[in-house]
Amino acid sequence: MNEDKLLPNEDYSKCQELTNCDSGSHTNCKGSCGEISIPKSKKHFAVINPSKMCQPMGAVQVLLGIEGAMPLIHGSQGCSTYLRFQMCRHFREPVNISSTSMSESTVVYGGEENLLKALDTIWREYKPKLIGVTSSCLTETIGDDMGLIIRKFRSKHPDEELPPIIPISTPSYSGSHVDGYDKAVKSLLENMAVQNQTNSKINIITGNISPADIREIKEILEIMKCSSIILTDNSESLDAPHTDSVSFLPPAGTKVNEIIDSANSKATISLCKHANSGAKFLKKRFDVKSISGPLPVGLKNTDKFISAICKIQNCDLPEKLEKDRGRLIDTIIDAHPYNYQRKVAIYGDPDVVSGLAGFTAELGMIPTVVCTGAESNRFMDDMKEVAKESPTKPSVMEGCDLYDLQNYIKDNPVDLLIGNSYGARIANEENIPLFRVGFPIYDRMGAQRIPIVGYSAGISLVDTLANMILEKYYDASGWEIE
Amino acid sequence: MPFDLFEVDKEIPERKKHIYIKDSKDPKEHIPACNTTTVPGCMTERGCAFAGAKGVITGAIKDALHVVHSPVGCTAYAYGTKRYPTTPDMPNGDKFPIDNFNLKYITGTDIRESDVVFGGMDKLKKCILEANKEFPEANAIYTYATCTTGLIGDDIDAVSREVAEEIGKDVIAINAPGFAGPSQSKGHQVANDVLFESLVGTKEPPRTTEYDVNLIGEYNIDGDLWVLREYFDEMGINILSTFSGDCCHDEIGWMHRAKLSLVRCQRSSNYIAKLLKERYDIPYIKVDFFGIRYPTENLKALGEYFGKEEEAEKVIESRMKWIRPELDKLKEKLQGKKVWVFSGGPKNWHLPEPLEEELGMDVVAVSTMFEHEDGYEKIKERVGENTVIIDDPNSLEAEEIIEKYKPDIVLSGVKEKYLAHKMGVPCILIHSYENGPYIGFEGFLNLAKDMYAAIYNPVWKLMEFEQEIEEEISAENHARRRGPS
Repeated sequence: MNEDKLLPNEDYSKCQELTNCDSGSHTNCKGSCGEISIPKSKKHFAVINPSKMCQPMGAVQVLLGIEGAMPLIHGSQGCSTYLRFQMCRHFREPVNISSTSMSESTVVYGGEENLLKALDTIWREYKPKLIGVTSSCLTETIGDDMGLIIRKFRSKHPDEELPPIIPISTPSYSGSHVDGYDKAVKSLLENMAVQNQTNSKINIITGNISPADIREIKEILEIMKCSSIILTDNSESLDAPHTDSVSFLPPAGTKVNEIIDSANSKATISLCKHANSGAKFLKKRFDVKSISGPLPVGLKNTDKFISAICKIQNCDLPEKLEKDRGRLIDTIIDAHPYNYQRKVAIYGDPDVVSGLAGFTAELGMIPTVVCTGAESNRFMDDMKEVAKESPTKPSVMEGCDLYDLQNYIKDNPVDLLIGNSYGARIANEENIPLFRVGFPIYDRMGAQRIPIVGYSAGISLVDTLANMILEKYYDASGWEIE
Repeated sequence: MPFDLFEVDKEIPERKKHIYIKDSKDPKEHIPACNTTTVPGCMTERGCAFAGAKGVITGAIKDALHVVHSPVGCTAYAYGTKRYPTTPDMPNGDKFPIDNFNLKYITGTDIRESDVVFGGMDKLKKCILEANKEFPEANAIYTYATCTTGLIGDDIDAVSREVAEEIGKDVIAINAPGFAGPSQSKGHQVANDVLFESLVGTKEPPRTTEYDVNLIGEYNIDGDLWVLREYFDEMGINILSTFSGDCCHDEIGWMHRAKLSLVRCQRSSNYIAKLLKERYDIPYIKVDFFGIRYPTENLKALGEYFGKEEEAEKVIESRMKWIRPELDKLKEKLQGKKVWVFSGGPKNWHLPEPLEEELGMDVVAVSTMFEHEDGYEKIKERVGENTVIIDDPNSLEAEEIIEKYKPDIVLSGVKEKYLAHKMGVPCILIHSYENGPYIGFEGFLNLAKDMYAAIYNPVWKLMEFEQEIEEEISAENHARRRGPS
């Protein structure tokens, strides 16, 4: 286990793999420790059916995991409405995201008045425990200084106990929702974390994973008797049980105090490498140990996650998890006749894609092609790791869209597609089954309840993939259709 | 006092004038304040002008390719949102090669920081050319300004003209950036104006008849248009152009050849009907095909206009003969149930009377996202006394409506659906529907069935945990349960 040294590609998995690297030097191994092919998009200018979303989408998902928090998008109404629409139909939960409702006149004169008014309305009307203000392409282009406007708002209310109001710069014209998520966590920690007394907790920055995934992680931590601060925990707000009361703001989740306390933790584990800026900040500022990724999907990655905690907690693998792991192994062995050498295509967020690619390789499947809309060197490096375990060279499409992916699949057919609902059309046209995972999933039930992390979720994932293959490629009595 | 300040709005007194409680003794001009900008931070359900233009109007066209000049977000969110299916059938008998092309693809420029600094026109041009190369079958290309590209002043009109010349296809620029106007309604208007000015009068239909109509403001949500088309076909009335459900790009170009325009959605597409009247002297009538009485009256009026009274009667009779008994059965179950209707605009005046007349329901609250004065006047006419009429309600008001007016069912969009469910009230979608179509006689029956199913969902009776008391099993019972040995 090494500490994060703020190198972009640094993580514990890399260093454990160092001995396998042909070049023998970690810093020189980029591009030579796993063979991948990089198909180029035929297009240079047009994005057709994007495989990414804009930064505010990621930022808002962080804020919705904070108890009593109100996300506010400083932009035109469409931003918050489009995001709410996407999230409502995915999570099947009420989602409230406020807007500064920018219009022609305010665009001309700057958004200060609107942002002040919105903060005032939200504070008086909803009494949130935290307000997270994300920018948009519009207000970034205008050049509104949100930090300054927020300070102005505070100075107008000197006697009131205002909640933390956190500015999060998320210009939609750079990066993607993956960066938006990362920036939101970082902004929260930068503005709020205070070091005083050590707390013997581990911070977990989840990255953009499902509420069910967060529940799996919490369960693992509980089994390991590890107290934690989850940054942030939407497992109760975006997969909320039906109760007698309705809450306008997230009724549960990470508490404001926990965010403040995160500077006192023993370590921070960023489950997604692309969401580790907050951890890097805590390391640099408060010397909180930082570990980033890989997302604990499949055997090896989950082993790494669990052993990281074992090391921090100074404990052994608990019996319950050992049994879960044993069951996962058992499942993989039993499912192998069906999964073996099946070709899969995977698209979505970089950490989820590389995690699933690694897992499918562990199953004896062939991750033939992976695609992410984000542009990321880390993703390329992760895929090179996966390539080492894959029987054939995976094709890695970075910064590509679903149209590129479909064109690739047309020339290089696969047996199974893994990704969100945006690929349903491809599955349909190419006549291949689609395992839905990621965001958004709006054409099936249960999007918020699909777990992929940890051993236990791995078991049902293997079962599901094998059953999809049985359903599609085998006859009713379970014999392969030739 | 006809205007009501909700409990939850005590900190936003501006909201009072948007909430009106119907009293027929009030003067006509007593309606909610509307079509004004939303109070920032007020948690509105409204969208943006771009959504109004692309999401509502142009996105329904079957053979057009859309290029959104935006950062990736607007492009991504404009994909896979609205359910307006299309057929491959073209007016000249050809088939468009890609099925549901309008639902399947969205293209964008994915502009970056450098484009914001140096301008994105060059990128837009290259993007359109490239998209056209990928989809040579598309008969037209529509490009959209969004917040950022509108703000930096990219001249999408100039780019579109230039590319149109180069590729020999119509390239239509829609300048409805997100910040334009108080709601998506502005986008409807821009799309109407642009399509009229740049297309109408530029094409000629393959054939014309004496019975040609424009069906304006029908977007074929979940197949609504196809229900109406059947009626018109049976009556011998020819839909020359629809604006814009399941229509092809060229149809808009020959709207000036119709004998009559029928305006179905009177919020989003009044504009083009008025322009057709002004410029081409094509009369228009406003039609309403929701419920039973409205389609009956409107089909008859149409029959009268074209001398096809008998045909109209036949259409009505053939439907009502089997639908009436079904509706009567449902009426027994729905009688007295209270409803809150929350639509974008016109369904607020399409639905209250049919729900009350045909099904005996009680519409207790209506609200719209973006209706204007004329719409609210119609709503006020058609709802019962003491019904609350709300303009642009925010989420907390939505909660208060449910608590105060206790509807048994909410008819709304997806953003409100799960709030209602969490409050223990069933909700069905009336923007994109549950099991549509909802228009016409058959559609109204579908709506009634969906409402019945939602209200009588067995789960509403199982909300409370009830501890079961173990029944004592007598020896006799026990033996019987085990069955013969």
